[in-house]
Amino acid sequence: MPTMFSVKGLDELVRTGGSCRVAVEVPSGFKPGDNVRAVNINPITHTRLPQYVRGKRGVVVEDRGVFVFPDTNSQLKGEKPQHVYSVVFTAAELWGPGVNPRDTLYIDLWEDYIVPEEQAS
Amino acid sequence: MTKDHDDHHDHDHDHDHEHRRPDVALRVKAIESLLVEKNLLDPEAVDKLIDLYEHKIGPRNGARVVARAWTDPDYKARLLKDGTAAIAEFGYSGIQGEDMVVLENTPGVHNMVVCTLCSCYPWPTLGLPPNWYKAAPYRSRAVIDPRGVLEEFGITISSEIEVRVWDSNAELRYLVLPMRPAGTEGMSEDELAELVTRDSMIGVGFPVQP
Amino acid sequence: MNGIADLGGRHGMGPIRFEENEPIFHAEWERRMFAMFILAFAGGHFNIDQFRYGMEQMAPAEYLTSDYYQHWLHSLEIWCKANGTFAEGEIERRMAQLAKEAA
Repeated sequence: MPTMFSVKGLDELVRTGGSCRVAVEVPSGFKPGDNVRAVNINPITHTRLPQYVRGKRGVVVEDRGVFVFPDTNSQLKGEKPQHVYSVVFTAAELWGPGVNPRDTLYIDLWEDYIVPEEQAS
Repeated sequence: MTKDHDDHHDHDHDHDHEHRRPDVALRVKAIESLLVEKNLLDPEAVDKLIDLYEHKIGPRNGARVVARAWTDPDYKARLLKDGTAAIAEFGYSGIQGEDMVVLENTPGVHNMVVCTLCSCYPWPTLGLPPNWYKAAPYRSRAVIDPRGVLEEFGITISSEIEVRVWDSNAELRYLVLPMRPAGTEGMSEDELAELVTRDSMIGVGFPVQP
Repeated sequence: MNGIADLGGRHGMGPIRFEENEPIFHAEWERRMFAMFILAFAGGHFNIDQFRYGMEQMAPAEYLTSDYYQHWLHSLEIWCKANGTFAEGEIERRMAQLAKEAA
């Protein structure tokens, strides 16, 4: 049940916040340099996979560590901790012709949001 | 500006908005009074939080981090390697800054930050976000037309330079480390911090050119 | 969900609306709403992912025309009702009472 959060704990709360990082060992399926594709899913509940990257090809840049999975946590169906990766997409892959070919978009994607892709984008 | 003047200004602003959303103001008031009555809300904590984020936590924090990075190469290296830890050296940490990543602008790369899905923003270093950051025009277009958005901020990025957009859709929070302006050799860290604008740390502006 | 909050890449949202010397808060209710979100979160009314999901469930037209802290208000209400803190109609009754007192 919810309780009152007292002013006594406030300094500590502001200083430490509440990281969604989880201190558990979870195997990582990807590493920097891997070609990946964002999955095409359309859940009717919460997800942090925006529509504009679904189905697009990108490259893993960095492993950010293990975090709570929003899709399940928002439904109180468990934290399902998993790796989050910084993934880069070219503007051309996301938006087609007419963009500056140098431009890129970086986004943090949970393990469940990406699958291996054989071909580089 | 005197303190009195500040308060007066706030008050005028408040009046406009209360007037525009009287129903919302009343609704929030009702919820607050119910939560306090049910012993679920500590009024002292409410007042203290408002004071913290209205008067104490803001972009001057981030400016100090940037100025230090401009003057201390070892600090800059730590900042780019582990943003959270290096920012915490100043005592800046916590809510909406639990996992910080610092993005270095270079002659070849210009970084800018958006949260397309809501309003994620690094509170400990920048304070609470301005309304435009949370509103549909910026959130919708920053990813598909970043150069057009930057033009609206009065900034033109050469087509030779990569514009790198960061969607802070997850739990990482981003701070842009802008390039140190030319002609600032010999300036102190405190003087440099005065040049660092909030927008330059979001990537939609440049530091002030002295 | 493919909701209104998922704004990345949409056209037609208009120019960016700048505000000269924008204050941190635009009204007293924004101050109170801000603090209540933090304290309700810390008090266990919802987790951060539930909170964002709550905002996404706002009606699209309302989402686009409201002030941002109204998104927070919307979500706070959803979860405080879901966990039984507020009964149906309780907020409206208190609003009526406060309005009467102020009159």
